[in-house]
Parts: sequence; structure tokens; C-alpha cells
Amino acid sequence: MPRIDLPQGTLDLLILRTLALEPQHGWAISERIQQISSDVLRVQQGSLYPALHRLERRGWIKARWGTSENNRRAKYYELTKTGRRQLEVEKDAWDKLTAAVAQVLGTA
Amino acid sequence: MFKDLWFRLRALFRRKSVETELDEELRFHLERQAEKYVRAGLDREEARHRARLEFGGYEQVKEEYRDARGVSLIETLARDVRYGFRALRSNPGFSTVAILTLALGIGANTAIFSVIDSVLLRPLPYADPDRLVMVWESLPGRNPHNTVSPPDFLDWGSRNSVFSGMAALFDQRANLTGNGQPQEVVLQDVTANFFSILGVNPILGTGFTAENGQPGHDDVLVLSCGFWKERYGGDSSIIGKTITLNGHPLMVVGVAPEGFDWFIKDSSLTGAKPQMWTPWIIPQAFHDRKNVGRFMTVAARLKPGATVQQARVQMNTIAAQIAQEYPDFNGHWGANVVPVREQISGDLRPALWILLGAVGFVLLIACANVSSLLLARAAARERELAIRTAIGASRWRIAFQLLTESVLLAVMGGSVGVALAIWGTNVLLAANPRNLLDLRSVSVDLPLLAFAVGSTLLAGLIFGFLPSFISAHASVAETLKEGGRGSSAGKGRGTARSAFVVLQMCLALVLLAGSGLLIRSFIRLVGVDPGFAASHLLTFKVTLPRLKYGTDAKCQAFFQELLPRLSHLPGVRSVTMNSYPPFTGLGAATGVRLLSQPPRSLKDLPDAEVRVVGPNYFSTMEVPLRAGRTFSEDELSQARHVAIINQAFADKYMSGTNPLGQKAVIFMKSLEESGNPSSEIIGVVGDVRQMGLDTPGEPTVYWPYPELVYSGMTILVRTSNDPLALVPAVRNELQQMDPEQPMAAVATMDQLLGESLERSRFTMLLLAIFAAMALLLASVGIYGVIAYGVTQRTQEFGIRIALGARRSDVLRLVLGQGTRLALLGIGLGIIFALALSKFLGTLLYGITPTDPLTFGAVALLLTLVALVACFVPAHRATRVDPIEALRYE
Repeated sequence: MPRIDLPQGTLDLLILRTLALEPQHGWAISERIQQISSDVLRVQQGSLYPALHRLERRGWIKARWGTSENNRRAKYYELTKTGRRQLEVEKDAWDKLTAAVAQVLGTA
Repeated sequence: MFKDLWFRLRALFRRKSVETELDEELRFHLERQAEKYVRAGLDREEARHRARLEFGGYEQVKEEYRDARGVSLIETLARDVRYGFRALRSNPGFSTVAILTLALGIGANTAIFSVIDSVLLRPLPYADPDRLVMVWESLPGRNPHNTVSPPDFLDWGSRNSVFSGMAALFDQRANLTGNGQPQEVVLQDVTANFFSILGVNPILGTGFTAENGQPGHDDVLVLSCGFWKERYGGDSSIIGKTITLNGHPLMVVGVAPEGFDWFIKDSSLTGAKPQMWTPWIIPQAFHDRKNVGRFMTVAARLKPGATVQQARVQMNTIAAQIAQEYPDFNGHWGANVVPVREQISGDLRPALWILLGAVGFVLLIACANVSSLLLARAAARERELAIRTAIGASRWRIAFQLLTESVLLAVMGGSVGVALAIWGTNVLLAANPRNLLDLRSVSVDLPLLAFAVGSTLLAGLIFGFLPSFISAHASVAETLKEGGRGSSAGKGRGTARSAFVVLQMCLALVLLAGSGLLIRSFIRLVGVDPGFAASHLLTFKVTLPRLKYGTDAKCQAFFQELLPRLSHLPGVRSVTMNSYPPFTGLGAATGVRLLSQPPRSLKDLPDAEVRVVGPNYFSTMEVPLRAGRTFSEDELSQARHVAIINQAFADKYMSGTNPLGQKAVIFMKSLEESGNPSSEIIGVVGDVRQMGLDTPGEPTVYWPYPELVYSGMTILVRTSNDPLALVPAVRNELQQMDPEQPMAAVATMDQLLGESLERSRFTMLLLAIFAAMALLLASVGIYGVIAYGVTQRTQEFGIRIALGARRSDVLRLVLGQGTRLALLGIGLGIIFALALSKFLGTLLYGITPTDPLTFGAVALLLTLVALVACFVPAHRATRVDPIEALRYE
């Protein structure tokens, strides 16, 4: 199955959604996105980190240093309260968008 | 919001730890990815390679991350500043010239601004000073700021609804005795509400209470801070003590705050700042217009909500009512309301704004110079900039970098400039003529610094913009190909620099024309004959206290003894006296009726100045006698009802008739004709200028002393040598007659004359200095441009000479280029200056603002200076060795 690149602007949503389950470090976030999307979505790994810091600056996620599964120092990100609210907002917006796009495609 | 700021700051100040954290995070990611591939069966090397590949550009990610982090702007700026410093250090000659040029411009601006700030902008030391106004009586067309009569003041007070209070005052000299040397002091008699209306509270004691305005309670005194320190050593136990003034004991009830000295030049009878205040109760007799003239200064505070305009309208209405009710005394008289600030700064206001405009021009010329220098340097750096563009710097980045350098230059120039300004202002203060600028100290305060910083940044942007813009738009390929010569940017720069030269010449001409006009006007002014001989003349005032010298006879006896005593001193040629000698301020004036003319009411009578003089007045002062004779010995010892008039009086009021033998009623003793004996005119003398060299002599009547005895007279001593050397001997004579009698306002006539010129001298001197700076900067500017052009065209000149051009041809070529620019600038400057010079109008004496001689002279001067500035590089061009030049490439 060919992978598709993430459409512009959806990466933030996916990161927030991934972190809604549990705090994760960067690599795990990209792995999780790929796994859940059954390897269809490919996260451009380079763009993951700037996105993480953008979200951190906005106060939607926060970072702390922790220990990884294999006992290494890793930076973990978790959702803040505002981040959780933002996730709802973005999810709503996404749902509306996809529904609308689907409708247009369906009737066309 | 705060979180965002926190991240930016953390990123900025803890850059290192942020960077290592990022590194660690990214490394962790790569390792995990690699491990994943190892588990999938790749070997370690392969896995790592693949992880890297997938990740994309590592550094690029970091760069993107930094952008996301949001510090790049500040970081870029810091980098640009560091780079800029390095660039400036690597070229110390350029940097020094640029910084000094800017320092001159910014320093001059800041110095003048500091004066403007303290004279025109800083709040006056009164509560809510913008609501304080002066109220004057006014004679339309003659005197807008006439002192006020007590009955008018009382009527104004009871009829107006715009003022919350009005205070009246007048100043006089008084003799302070007891406790050491007798001393003449300047005393202001003020209505008891004076301090409360100004909103000034004493630093010591209670000051005046309302009760002090009641008869029997007015024997109190408030001292000025300066006088308190000077005479009483700042001793606070002075409160409650008694001081003897003109023989009256007065109790000290307060000391005014430091720097408080109410002084309004237009109405001061003493011409000096007050040293103490005492309450004054308007005597009952002064409620009647028949008994009193106009002599008071009136200050008032506007009610909350009332405007100056409303006050003007209402006071005019009230004055018109009063004029109808008392046509004899108030006919023609109006009222005038002037904000206190305007009153105090009135004299200097136009001069200061003109000076600020002038220094603004100097700064513009300085900016054009630095801009021109930057352009020349940018040309030399063209390759560097082109390479930076080629490897990816955006035009915006290049422009920003260059602009940063400009602002850096400006900031350094500005710092030196502020230091210059502080020094310059202190020089101004040291040279500050008395009573001209009310500057006690110029401190580096907030408005001053804000102005300096503002003008610095503005200057940096102005001179930095064009060079950055041109360089940023240079075509990279062309520049690299052509090695920087003849490129489009090069042409742009050439044009810009030529334009700068034109601009500089234009502005320099405007300044030169302005200062030229002021210099010419000053020379005219100094050349004016005051109507008497001013050199070797000592003046001082003797005011006899009325308590001790209660009768006219006593005063007369005192002066009749004093003058001969003084005239016998060695070194004294002759001695005389005058009630209001020239250049000591306002004098008395009144209506005069010639008996040959029909009677008229006082308000319709022509005005004349009245001077009471002692023996030998005209010979001592060297005022020429035009007709008739001077006063006889007899007339100088008894009132014989004679008078001498001046030429202006004869010309204005008696033209076509012989004034000698005619009789005139001089309304000096009473407002009724019956109370004034008529005087016979026995002589005509030349006109004497009273208020200043720029004011022609008014019609004047001279009376011998017995006709009208004043208790205060100014003694005039004509000496053979330095007049001031005689002061101890004169004081000795005076104190032998009365040990309690001080000698006041000691000065030579030359000093008084000089002081009357100070405002003109001050403005002229400063404008001349600024014009000289402009001339210097502009000539450096044109020199720089021509010299640079010659360097660039070395090869061309070499070829020309090799092909047979004579050296004089080359010289003409280069000079021609410079002269064209200079003449264009000068032409534009003349047009500009003609349009602007009308603002100098009030500062000029005896010449028109478009004086062709001045304009011609400064245009010629500027052309010559420009020619010399061009000649140096032009001469160098003729020395070009063709072989050297051709090898140059």
C-alpha cells in the first residue's frame, strides 16, 4: 500500500490526538501515527520536531525529560489542559471539513 | 502570551542549553529509528544511514526548529550588531569621520533642544502653570503689555467670572539696614493672595495669610531662597525675626522655594529679580482714578474650565465698559490676557525656533555626509555583498545588515553628541547674558535623552536607508562580472551622492544666508549712535528711604551735596544724574499739552517720556544741544518751570513752529491740568535711545531735578579711566554722607549697552556657529564626492592624458563636475532661503530679509569654498601618471 504525505496542517492534530492517550517522546509519536494509520500516513520526521516546539510554545503540550523504555534519557511530551481543549476544537473542525469534502465528492 | 515570551527569552539567554537539548532529542530519535531497522534485520551501519536519510536534513531541521522557536529575529540582530562592530572597527578612518560628523549634528541639536526644553517646554515652578495668565491694560497699536492701575484692577476683580483669583504687584528698591552692611534690595509689594494664586508654598514658615491683607497686619516679609542663603546663611531661625526695610520693621514669615523669583521684564520698575515680598494693601486713595496711574503687574488664575480665549473676550468687554464709564482715564484702553509661559519666553521664542530649525539643517547635512560616505564604502564592499547574495542571503537581509550598521554608527555618534551637548549647553550657560535665558542648570533629564535618542535613530535611518536600499537591489551577476565598476548600483550610488551634494549646498546656503543676515543686522545695530557717549560712564542708583528723607528738600539737599563730592574725586571728569537713564529699562511717560494748542482731555494728549536730570546732564552725557540753551544753575536749584525737549518731540508735535519760548503742561504731578504748572521750553537736544539700539528715541521732556523730586536717582559719573575702578571711592563718599545708604545697580554704561544687545548677539553668534558647521560639513561632503569620483576615474584620466589631453583639460573636467553640483545646490538654496528668511523678520534691524548684498556674498562664499574643496582632488587627477593608471586594472 502506497503511503501518503500528511496534508498541510494535519500534523498538529495528529500529534495532539496521539498525546491524548499518554505522554510520549518524539520518535514514539511518529511510530504511533504510522501504526494507527496502518502505515498509510507517513510523518516527515524532520517536520515533527519543529511542530512539537510550536505546540509547546502555544502551551498546548508541555515537555519534560524522562527515561525511555530502554532506560535512556528522552524528552516526553504530554497534553496540557488547553491542549486537550484545542484537540476537541481541531477534531470538530476536521470532522466538518472531511464531511463537507466527502459530501462534495459524493454528489459530484 | 507570557508562555510564548518565556520560551523566546529562554531560547535567547540559554541558547547553549537549548541547543544541546535539541541535539540530544534528535539524536535519541535517530538512534531509536536505527534500532528499529536493526531489529528488522539491517546491519548497524545501514540502519543508521537509512534513519538519517528518512529524517531529512539534520541542520535544516534544526534551523526550522529555531525558526519555530521564534528567536531568529533577535539573534539575527545580535549577529548583525556584532558584524557591524567588526566592519566599523576594520575601517577606523571612515568610522571616526562618520561618528564625529554625526556627533556634531546630534550634539548641536540636543544642546539647542535643552535650551528650548527649559525655556519653552518644561513646566514652570507654579501649581498648574498652564492656568496662570498675565492681565495687562493695552493701548491698541501702542503697548499691548501696559502696567495696570489699581482702580482698574479692583473693577476687573469684581466684574469678571473667568478668574478664580487675581493678584497685583509692583517692585521697588528698598534699603535694608541693621545687622551688617546696609544693602539695597529688590522688594515686590504683592497683594496678600499672590503666593496662593501662583500655588507656591514657602519651604520655611507659613507665608502670607489672608489676614496679612488687612491693615495693621501687613508688616510681614517672605524672603527669596537665594537671598536667605546669601545674607542669612540659610539659617532657619530667621522665621519670626524682624528685618528693617526703609526704616520699617518687618517680621519674616516665610522663605520661598529655591528658584522662585517672579520676574516679568515688561513691567519691572527695577529691572531686577525680587529678593523679598511684602503684602500690599491698596490704599483707599488709589480707588479713585484721579489719584493714581498705571504701575502694577497683574497675574490671575483661570477658573477650572475657563479658557484663555474666554478670558480675553470677557476682559475686553469689561475694559470697554470701564472705558465708557471713565472716558477721561480709560478711553482707548483695553485689556489683554497673556499666558504666563508666553509672557516669560516671548522675547526668545522666535529666535529659539529658528535656531532649532538651523540645527535641524546641520543634522541633515551631517546625515547626507555620512550617507555619502556609506555609499562610497558600499561600493567598495559591493563584491562582498554580491557574494553574500549569491550564497543565499535575501535582499532584505543585506539591507537589514547595512541598516544595522548605520544605526550602530548613529548610536555611537549620538553618544558622543550627547556629551558634546552637555558641554555645549554649559558653555551656553556660562556665556548666558543676564535675564536672557532663565536657565539655572541644564540637566540630562528624560525629555532631553528622549530627544537625543530619537534624533539619533532618525538620523541613522535617514542616512542608512538609501545606501542599504541601493545595495540590496544591486544585480549580483553584473557586480561579480564587472568587478564593481559601472554596475547599475554604482550608477545609482553616483546619482545619490551627487544629489546629496546638491542638498548639502542648498541647506548650507540657507544657513549662511540666515546668519549673514543676522550678522549684517547686528553690525548695523552696533553702529547705531545711541545719542550720547557711552564709554567711561559709571552708573549706579541711590534710593533715599522716605522715612529718613521725608521731604523734597531733604532729598534735594542730599543730591546737591553728593554730586559735587563725587566730581572732586580724582579720575572723575563730571557727574550728573537722571531719573531714568538710557538702557536701564522703562521710564516715566505722560501726556503733554502745548498751551498753543486747544485743551484736550488727558487720554487724547500726545505722550512724552519725562526725565528729571541733574546739573551738567547734557554735557556729561554728550547729548548735543540743537537749539536754545541748557538749564541754568538757578533752574537746577529751584523750580522755575522750565523744560528742554528732544528733537523727536519737536519734530512730532511742534513741526513748523519754533519750540523755544512755548509753554507746555506736563501731566506728571496730577491728572488735572490745574495741578500741573506749565513749563517753558528753553532748549532742544538730540534724541537718545532709551530701550535699546533698535528703538528710536521717543519724544522726551527733560526737567531739572527741582521740578519733580524723586527719592531714587541714577548717578552718572564720567571718568577718565576704567569707571569700575572708581567704585570704592564713590561708595566711600556716599557712606560718609549716610553710612546706611547703599549704592545699587552698579554698572558701566558700556555694560548696559552690551546687555541690550545680548539677545541679538546670542542669536547671531549661535546661527553663525551653525552656519560655519554647515559650511564645513558641506565642503567635506563635496570634497568627498569629487575625490571619490577622481579615484574611480583614474584609469579614464590616464587614457585621456595618454591620448594627449592637457592637464588643464582634466582639471577643468573635474572642477566643472563639482561646480555644476555646487551651483545647482546654491541656486536651489537661494530660492529656499528667500522663502524662509521672512521668519527672521523680527530679529533683523535695518535690512530686509531678502537683502541682495547678503545673498550675493554668501552665494559667492559658498561657491569659493566648494571650488577649493573640488580643487584638491581635481589637482590630484591632473597628476595621474598614464602608465600607472593603465596598469591599475
